[in-house]
Amino acid sequence: MSVVISMAGAGKAFDGRKVLDKVSADIGAAEFVSVLGPSGCGKSTLLRLIAGLIPFEEGSIRFNDKEVIAPTADMGFVFQTSNLLPWLNVRDNLMLGVDLDPASERPDAAAFADLVETLGLTGFEASHPHQLSGGMRHRVAIGQALARNPQVLLMDEPFGALDALTRDRLNMELLRIWQRDRKTVVLVTHSISEAVLLSDRVLVMSERPGTIVEDVRIDLPRPRDPSVTREDPAFGDYVVRLSKLMGVA
Amino acid sequence: MSASLFSRDTAITVGFFLALGLAWEFGVRWSGVQSYLLPPPSAIAAELWQSRGPILLQSLVTLSEVFWGFIIAVVLGVPIAALIYFSRTAKRTVYPLFVALQSIPKIGLAPLIVVWFGYGLTSKLIMAFLFAFFPIIISTLGGLASTPAHLEEHFRALRATPMQSFWRLRVPAALPSFLDGCKVAMPLAVIGAVVGEFVGSNDGLGNLILTASGSGHTTLTFAALIAVTLLSLLLFYGVAYWERFIWWRAA
Repeated sequence: MSVVISMAGAGKAFDGRKVLDKVSADIGAAEFVSVLGPSGCGKSTLLRLIAGLIPFEEGSIRFNDKEVIAPTADMGFVFQTSNLLPWLNVRDNLMLGVDLDPASERPDAAAFADLVETLGLTGFEASHPHQLSGGMRHRVAIGQALARNPQVLLMDEPFGALDALTRDRLNMELLRIWQRDRKTVVLVTHSISEAVLLSDRVLVMSERPGTIVEDVRIDLPRPRDPSVTREDPAFGDYVVRLSKLMGVA
Repeated sequence: MSASLFSRDTAITVGFFLALGLAWEFGVRWSGVQSYLLPPPSAIAAELWQSRGPILLQSLVTLSEVFWGFIIAVVLGVPIAALIYFSRTAKRTVYPLFVALQSIPKIGLAPLIVVWFGYGLTSKLIMAFLFAFFPIIISTLGGLASTPAHLEEHFRALRATPMQSFWRLRVPAALPSFLDGCKVAMPLAVIGAVVGEFVGSNDGLGNLILTASGSGHTTLTFAALIAVTLLSLLLFYGVAYWERFIWWRAA
């Protein structure tokens, strides 16, 4: 398995206050990795360092064996807020990343229709964000990142603001998309069950200054399905183990 | 939302203004107030009809002063606001200059403007411009600054160039605030033009008000005032019309 993202002793401070300290981990191609940690532990900052949105100060972060210095078209970022442009319709919001960046490949009509279909947005192409439900807006945001067909998907608590039912449904769609496309995914979350349900590996972070305290491999069978996987006794064991590591059980 | 012409709400509004007009009409008649002090609405309406030619003509004069003054305020105000927003130097030089200019009572400037630019269109257009300019700068600045930080970060993640971020994010994000500024600026431009006409002009509704009241022709004064009000309302709703194209203001 080839390493896509490699972090070695990465660190970051804001105003002299250390946020991340000696973060080291490798993330392989087509791996689904969750970063789990208490709020304020710097997990969102870590994701921004990987994306090249903010510079790291110590150690190194490499993407495809190149030092990360700026955002690249090969990484798609899905933010906590759905971040759609209210003046663009669903179609234009989906294509925003492609339109802005000449370096990204443009999906042809069939690929675009397929994307819209996969996201369950068929018939809503001409709608504007204010006409969509919260869950649909998040699907558009994910679709915007996918439209550029990036190698890596970085997701910062993308479903944090949604109700449990919508969140479950989107997790299932995310699983389906990942099982089909096999992109490398780094998902930041504070939900233990979400991390277990989706991931191949869970990186558990400490309180600030955040560092990776445990790298837990999740050996649950795939394809997974929220209603089935949660019944698996091993699922419960992972949740208990991670809860202990997080100090919540 | 679009109330029918005969809905209850419309009836209440129409009824209120009708009652107000009737109270005025009969109040003036019964109290015996001289019509050169306060003419009844019927007399004003008759005057409006009789003098419709000159009133319309003078309205067009004022309209063109307001229109050009407003357009120039937008054409100059928006780039200056952008300059102040993007340049620290401009923020510390140009911005305080305009705040200081705004603090000068513009009515006091009117005689100077007339001396400099004469009795014609130019001086009135400049007065309209002076009144309209500041709200447009302030609202554009506010709009540009209101771009959500999370969207700016999003654009960086999408590798947008600074020009793309400006045209495709900041400009649309600033439009609702800019339009609010235009709604404030438009009636002010009318006031500016009328003040200019008061101070030095042979034309326009302001001049008509001045000459009519000077010669004791009170009904014509009222008729001209109504024309100014209607003109201002018309122009205001002409600006407000564009709101439908900026539906994301509440989103």
